Amino acid sequence: MISSIAWKNIWRNRVRSGVIISAITIGMFAGVFTVTFYKGWINQRLEAGVETEVSHIQIHHPEFAENFELKNSIPEAAMTTDEIAQMDFVNGVSPRMVVQAMIASSETGTGVKILGVEPEKEKTVTNLYTKIQEGEYFEGVKRNPILIGKKLAAKMKVKLHSKLVVTLQDSQGHLTNEAFRVCGIYSIGNGMFEEMNVFVLKSDLAKVVQLDESTTHELVVHLKDHEKLDQNTKTLAGKHANLLVQNWKQIAPELGLLVDYGNIYIYFFIVIILLSLGFGIVNTMLMAVMERVKEIGMLMAIGMSKFRVFWMLMLETVLLTLTGGFFGILLGVGVTLATMKSGIDLSFYAEGLEDMGYSSLVFPVVEFGMVFVIVILVLVTGLIASIYPSRKALKYKPAEALRIDM
Amino acid sequence: MKLRAGFVTFVVKLPQTETMTTNLKLAWRNLWRNKRRTLITVASIFFGVLLSAYMTSMQEGSYDKMVEIVVKFYSGYMQVHQEEYWENKSINNAFDYDRALVDQVKKHQEIDLVIPRLESFGLASAGELTRGSAIFGIVPEVETQLTGIADKIVSGKYLQPTDDGVVIGDGLAKYLKLNLNDTLVIITQGYHGVSAAGKFPVHGIIKHVSPELNKSVIYMELKTCQAFLGAENKLTSLVVNVADNDAMKRTLKKLKSEIRSPFSVMSWEEMQPEVVQQIESDRAGGIIMKAVLYIVIAFGIFGTIMMMIAERRREFGVMISIGMQKRKLSVILFFETLFIGLLGILSGIAVSLPLLLIQARNPIPLTGDTAKLMEDFGFEPYMFFSTAPEVFWQQAISVFAITMLIGIYPVIASLRIKEIKALHG
Repeated sequence: MISSIAWKNIWRNRVRSGVIISAITIGMFAGVFTVTFYKGWINQRLEAGVETEVSHIQIHHPEFAENFELKNSIPEAAMTTDEIAQMDFVNGVSPRMVVQAMIASSETGTGVKILGVEPEKEKTVTNLYTKIQEGEYFEGVKRNPILIGKKLAAKMKVKLHSKLVVTLQDSQGHLTNEAFRVCGIYSIGNGMFEEMNVFVLKSDLAKVVQLDESTTHELVVHLKDHEKLDQNTKTLAGKHANLLVQNWKQIAPELGLLVDYGNIYIYFFIVIILLSLGFGIVNTMLMAVMERVKEIGMLMAIGMSKFRVFWMLMLETVLLTLTGGFFGILLGVGVTLATMKSGIDLSFYAEGLEDMGYSSLVFPVVEFGMVFVIVILVLVTGLIASIYPSRKALKYKPAEALRIDM
Repeated sequence: MKLRAGFVTFVVKLPQTETMTTNLKLAWRNLWRNKRRTLITVASIFFGVLLSAYMTSMQEGSYDKMVEIVVKFYSGYMQVHQEEYWENKSINNAFDYDRALVDQVKKHQEIDLVIPRLESFGLASAGELTRGSAIFGIVPEVETQLTGIADKIVSGKYLQPTDDGVVIGDGLAKYLKLNLNDTLVIITQGYHGVSAAGKFPVHGIIKHVSPELNKSVIYMELKTCQAFLGAENKLTSLVVNVADNDAMKRTLKKLKSEIRSPFSVMSWEEMQPEVVQQIESDRAGGIIMKAVLYIVIAFGIFGTIMMMIAERRREFGVMISIGMQKRKLSVILFFETLFIGLLGILSGIAVSLPLLLIQARNPIPLTGDTAKLMEDFGFEPYMFFSTAPEVFWQQAISVFAITMLIGIYPVIASLRIKEIKALHG
């Protein structure tokens, strides 16, 4: 009985129902989109410093970080690598051989850090391979390929397939030279990094420094879920007490501070958006219910109990909120899915981001837990928002309510 | 006829201004006829202004803070160099510490600090151990005003005005196994290729927040450093600091036009483009967030206004039936939206202004790891708010524009009203 009145009420005044449904729809859309965008945004903010350069966690011999001596390699590296790769929170592990060296072209020479990597494994820990501006990622050069930064290429005045001579101290303490050929030039916007870091095949570097190919100075670990960074760092540090396990926040604290500080602000933005959609829904509900004071007075005058009227109003609200919520989720998820593939381009708003070869795309991420919380939150907001005005309308005496002038 | 025509226009014109005031009066009275309805609509605009001002204030506050974090770390807001220095950071690109240049810079009122530095690289050694290091020749009391390094001394003392010793990074000290008052040997190439080697007592050890610098930094009194490097009265950079980023932008323009070859002035943005990327992309993401906020606000206002029109259909029907022109009704309704908009905006500003002023004075304290990290870096761990005038008037104008855009709806709705239907509704 009550439910059929409620159902009819919804259809009786389509404008009012439409307004409430659209208020909830927009609220739900904003909520869902904000959290999916939020997740993507946090990822994008790590893009430059973390995903391209440092990756999530780095493991060294405790003394290596201090003096970069070749002998301070990770003991039983192959086993440790496999062990870590098998942990369920690890996305990828890349063992690197790290050597400080001088590099020279026909024009000039400079000091660099040479990272000997296994390309396939390296691809799982950083996205540097997607930042190749010219050439290929360790392809196209048969013997001793080397990947260098754009800034270094400019400084050394070399092009693709140019020869570079590397001078370094091998594991026996002898100075040796070896020629490498540029197979690719990467561009990531950070000149310092581009100038200081060159990549070669680990097997090639091992021959030059006369070390076994499995020798590893640096283990780079990429996690499946970055949010568990601190927790996972602790787990790894606990398992490998003899090694120095550091996450990117410890390696680059200034970047960590910038990102952490920003994250707190973003969190507050979300609270503000949720507040404003709450107010939007409350106001619309308030308006819609208060409009019906006269009608409610009438129902009470002809003998409908207050409880029943209240029940009827709540039932209407539930139906409207669910409908609006449904459309809102559809819209929010729809927009998210539509932008998930190609990303939302921020370069339009941030001048010069693209000039610097920096990815300004945010790829929204649907995380069901968070979306679920938002959905519940919006639905509850809609319901609570209608309780207050309904109670208020019920407080009128039927005779007064009937006389109210609209 | 002409006269008559003129008369007619005169007559018509007069009531037109009268109609205007009547319209305004009617609109104003309509508002207060149903206070509840008006207040709800005003409230939706009020919250719009309040929340968007709050969000903007926080955005701007965080942006300023991030810039400050970056700038205080090392570079300052601007630096003057010999024009080739930044590309080729060799001591040979040093310049004379010349009063005239400093005065030229200092004459701008907004500049609050001019910090001379002589930077170079060298090999630091003690006993058998050697390590590459960054040498900073600084004026101790001026330098610490920017970077606060005097507070980061972990043992010994900070540099004195005429100090012949050095303050070194904690990591460097550990590597070289140096303690206080031990002797550090520095070997490097001085100005124009003179070879420089010297012995310096370690007077202080500093825990630098940057791990890189902590492992490699050597601070020296400027005069001592100049004598050591054979660069009498020379500098590699002149840090020019101002109060905030806005002041930097204004001053940079002036300085760029004044400072000529062989000198050049660079902003922190030019010196650290990678940091600009981080901050800019944060800001851009903030714009998307703001857009979502505006959509939510707009629909909140739209919902209440649409509801108001729906509620009053019958009233409009009656008015039109007894002879009210639809056009006139739409004008009155537009004025109503205008008044509601103004009331919402004014009340929004009236509340958000003092609220944000109080909030800016009492920034939200942060806790946890971030707070600790910020303290290590020498920042108060708070969330800051900006109270720049733009925060308020820009938000007021944006929300008002949204309201006026929505104000088109009642106008169209009243023009398209079917009085018979409306009466029945």
